[in-house]
Amino acid sequence: MKSNSFWTLIVSLSLAGSAFGLTIGDKAPDTAVKMKNVDGKEVSIADVTGKNGTLVIFSCNHCPFAKAWQERIAAIGNSGKDKGVGVIVINSNDPTDYPEDNYAEMQKRAQKLGFTFPYVVDATSDVARAFNATRTPEAFLFDKDGKLVYHGAIDDSQDASAVKDHFLQDAITASTAGQTVANKETKFVGCGIKFRAKT
Amino acid sequence: MTVIRRSITVGLLVCLGGWHAACAPTKTVRVEDVRVTSVTAADIQKMVHDSGAKAVLVNMWATWCGPCRAEFPDLVSVAHQYQGQGLKVLLVSADVEAELPAVKKFLADRGVEFPAYLKAEKDQAFIDGMGNQWTGALPATFLYDGSGKLRDFWEGEATFSVFTQKVVKVLGEPVKPTGGTP
Repeated sequence: MKSNSFWTLIVSLSLAGSAFGLTIGDKAPDTAVKMKNVDGKEVSIADVTGKNGTLVIFSCNHCPFAKAWQERIAAIGNSGKDKGVGVIVINSNDPTDYPEDNYAEMQKRAQKLGFTFPYVVDATSDVARAFNATRTPEAFLFDKDGKLVYHGAIDDSQDASAVKDHFLQDAITASTAGQTVANKETKFVGCGIKFRAKT
Repeated sequence: MTVIRRSITVGLLVCLGGWHAACAPTKTVRVEDVRVTSVTAADIQKMVHDSGAKAVLVNMWATWCGPCRAEFPDLVSVAHQYQGQGLKVLLVSADVEAELPAVKKFLADRGVEFPAYLKAEKDQAFIDGMGNQWTGALPATFLYDGSGKLRDFWEGEATFSVFTQKVVKVLGEPVKPTGGTP
């Protein structure tokens, strides 16, 4: 029994923390890092910070899950301005193995979906590492004080017509109204971020 | 492309060496013979604990996941090579149920003749049910010992040598009793 407990402890200790870097209440890391937007300008998370909060979504072009949610991301992102929430969508994937994630394709995607918010390249994948983001699409919502109030999925279904819980939208509504977000963290299956090699 | 090219190059070199299990020809499996059962996380945990195996490897994958597809041949090779030595491999697809025909074809094309599984539970419940170390990213691999204790876990693509090294380590240990009189 001692041995089993030991292994449970070792596995728990080695795995805990590696999966979830930011915890609720944390400030956003790497906010000053400039990233190339699809309009050619360099933009940081700090640049888009809204008076009522900031939404950071790690997404990409190629992932079928990111594609499934891309219209919903566009709708939530485009409505952020009206709510005083700054929005930035970050692509941290290495396009070497997934050319659909390259800059030119990002520009096409942003134009096609009518993004009115920055869709930027995390050229080293280090911003994703700092957030400990692991999947696409993965959302982080910070309140007006810059504290993380929601982390996880956009909603509860890949199929837009089957959504029952609008996790992110509900979090934005609560946070911008100064209320506590009821469902602060959600988990979902998604494409792993294709990190660039560490430099 | 770089990864594929590298894999092919490494594969050729290893195959020329004549010892790599992945070089064995893929078993011919008909789509109609592929067995896929819908499961919850609780079902998987029960199978792990009731397996009677010396080690159980659970791999979460999906047909749309590039790294999952890339590691699959090595994973199947490890399953075939070590199942006679006490390894049980549970391949669990995270595809939606409507993709079941594609899942079966994928498994048949890669010579999976042993039972496979399909996630039949909402993401949150499924991920929570597998333990708090999994973020939901694919592929994800859980390695349990004979007593059902989680001994290793990782997200992301692995190779034949990585799978083998980790599996052999668990297979090589005596099974620890889960209770009762020693």
